This record gives sequence, C-alpha cells and structure tokens, in this order.
Amino acid sequence: MSDMAIWTEKLVKIYPDVRAVDGLNLNVPRGVVYGFLGRNGAGKSSTIRILLGLARATEGHGTVLGFPIGREQVAILERTAYVSESKTLYGNLTPRELVRFTRGFYPNWSEQAVRKYSQLLEIPMDRHFSKLSQGNRTKVCLLLALSQGADLLILDEPATGLDPVVLDEFLRILVQDVVSEGKTVFISSHQLSDVEQIADWVGLIDHGKLLLEARLDDIKSEFRFVTVAGNGLPQIQSSEVLLLASEGSFQKYLVKKDADAFAAQLSRQGATVAEVSPMSLREIFLALVRKEETCTSGNVGEIAEAVSLPLS
Amino acid sequence: MLLHVNPASGVPTYLQIETQVKHYIAAGALTPGDALPSVRQLASDLRISTNTVARAYQDLERDGILRTIPGGRTYVAENPGSFLKAERVRRLRPYARQIAVEGTQLRLDPREIMQLVQQELDALEEEHERYGNLDRKAR
Repeated sequence: MSDMAIWTEKLVKIYPDVRAVDGLNLNVPRGVVYGFLGRNGAGKSSTIRILLGLARATEGHGTVLGFPIGREQVAILERTAYVSESKTLYGNLTPRELVRFTRGFYPNWSEQAVRKYSQLLEIPMDRHFSKLSQGNRTKVCLLLALSQGADLLILDEPATGLDPVVLDEFLRILVQDVVSEGKTVFISSHQLSDVEQIADWVGLIDHGKLLLEARLDDIKSEFRFVTVAGNGLPQIQSSEVLLLASEGSFQKYLVKKDADAFAAQLSRQGATVAEVSPMSLREIFLALVRKEETCTSGNVGEIAEAVSLPLS
Repeated sequence: MLLHVNPASGVPTYLQIETQVKHYIAAGALTPGDALPSVRQLASDLRISTNTVARAYQDLERDGILRTIPGGRTYVAENPGSFLKAERVRRLRPYARQIAVEGTQLRLDPREIMQLVQQELDALEEEHERYGNLDRKAR
C-alpha cells in the first residue's frame, strides 16, 4: 500500500462516551492535496491523532507513507509535518527560539525555508508565543511545518485565525513549494470553501464514517440534482441514487452516477424531468450529511455508502 | 494569459480552465506558437492543485489544441483542429443537441435559437478582429 500516502482499513476509536472513529477506510494517493472535510466532532482530529501515533486505535490498522501506524512512529514523524488543531506551542519561547528547538528533530530541516516563509507570512519572530494573536500562532505552526522538508503535511484546521491575505499567500506557498514538488498535503477542515479551492481529492467524514472519497473534479462531473414531477412514481433508492425530498408530485434526487440515464429512465416511466443540475461541494456535503442523519435516526432510506469513482 | 476559476461552482475546475483556453484561442487572443504558463506557475497563480492544471493541459493536448515539448513549455498547437471533419462534428454534436433541447424547453422557436447561435458566432468574430487589430495577424 506504499503507493498511498495514507491508507487505513476499518479504523475505530472508542472513547468512553463516544465512538469517535467508526470503521474508517482512507485512501490518500501520494502527491495530491486531500481535503478531509466534516462537521465539528465528526472524527477528523481523532483520525489524525491516530495516524500520527498520538492516540491508539481501538481497532483497525493502516499506513502513513508506507509505514505501519502505531509501530513505526519515528519513521512517520520524521517525514510528516503536523499542525495541530489547538496551535499551542511553548508560550514562553519566541518563534525564533521555537525554530531552534524544533529543527534538531528533522533531518531535512531548511533554514532557508524559515527565512523565506517567516518573511512571506509576516511573522514577529522575537515576541513570546503566548503574546501572539491567534492568527500569528497559526502562522508560527505553519512555518515550522513548511520548514521540515516533510513528504507529507497533515494540517488540522490550518486556516484558524488567518486573514484572507495571509490565507491566500499560504495557499500559494503550498502549491508552489509543496504540491509542485510531488509532496502530499492532507488538510482537515469544517470550512469547505477554504479547502475546495486547493484540494484535488476530498473525503467527507461524518459520525466517524467516510461518506464519500473521490477526486473533487470527478465528483463535480458526476453528481447531479435531478428534480422530477409525476404521479405514482416508483420509490427509487439505491447506493447511486438518494431521494432527498418529496413534495406533492415533485421529487428531488441526488444522483451519484449516470444522472442522464437515470432521468431518461424516469422519463420513460411517465415523469417530467424538470431539471438535471450540477452540484457544488457545499450542496453535496449538506445533502449527504443530512441524509445520513435522517437515516441514523431511523427514518426511511438506507445509509449512504461511501462511493469511490473510478480514476480516469 | 488571465485565467479565472471559481472553485465553488459545480463545474470541475479543470473544465473551467479548458473552456477558457479554448475561448482565448477561438477569439484569437492566443495564436499558434504562443506559450502558456507552466503547470506550476498557473497552479500557484490560481491557488489550485498542480494536478488540476496538469489534467486540463493533458486534455487540451490530447485534443490537439496544445503541444508540450518534452521537459519544456506548453504552446498553442500549430494547427489546432487538425482532426477530420467528421470527428470535429462528432465532438460538437452533444452541444448542438443541448442547445436544441434547452431552447425548445424554453419555448423558443427554431429561428430564434439559430439567431442566438449566429449572434454568438458574430461576437466571437468581432473579438477576433479586435485582437487582430492589436498588431496580430488574425487566424
């Protein structure tokens, strides 16, 4: 599985009060920007902590850069840069001191990168970390991550506190200096718009399960809203077709594949196809998460399965 | 070359790039032999993954619209559309069908639909002439 930057199989993490990760299968190819998207509490940070060996999985297994999780932790951490959700570092050190403290751990550390990014991100290098604003704390964490020469960057909510200009600059750095070099970036976020621009792969997680994992452009090519009108239409529900809403003689579906064929089929059965329209990631996310919630609360329909679209 | 992408739209980003490049070529803003920005450059300008730009360039190359010198830059191909007439017609047909379907659904009569298409062709021609006047040989 070493052609994957991150690979997990049936990963489970049970805390006393919650099943944080619930049978998660991740496939993150090398060299992509992967957006790991989900609501607050969906299990994103728990998953990341397991990947890095900061928490132990209750069940399941996986690899990071080809190294087994939980067994080859040093090898993984040497090659992986991690920005945590909390963005806390030693408060009584300055960014400059934090750089000196951190660089010894990483064989590929670059002082040139420190100089370049501390300027581009406008980081006050000589003020105590505890005195920095939230945005500047985030920037220091990103600086340390970018300077490690890592093959994989795992960024947990990296946009916290960043103003739009700095965020834009950070995205430019990521593309130009990290992704262009064939490195893998794994970004977790609940802000779809932060990630949608730069990601070429997305995984949508909810209640510790993956609802969808695919190339973003493939999702946009395939997923369609189909709205039809007609009386006595058959109740269609499959892993490819979700009935989202039904109102009077109107039905609205989310179709994951071959939407035109689906519309043609309904049309042959006497329905009027009002619209087949593309969906934004935001719309897909809302539809899948809401569907999942009505399902788990015991209503009609089946649980949305994570679909994988074929690579073209 | 000024490209713009809207990541929040439902249209795949690589398709947005392809459409704009084709438009620039059709309008004469890009002519055969013109160099395009490198994958890395365009990706960092647009803040999108290099993989997305590479995909758009590969599609355009496959269609004979762009040409990449191995290990080097990407150019507008010398004779884009060198495909056989039949193949070009085959590629355009789905769009023609879509115009026919949408137009009919909006209760426009055939003459009005044809008129619209003609207007778009005229607009493109006009744009082409404007670029031609900008010290460039049209076509």
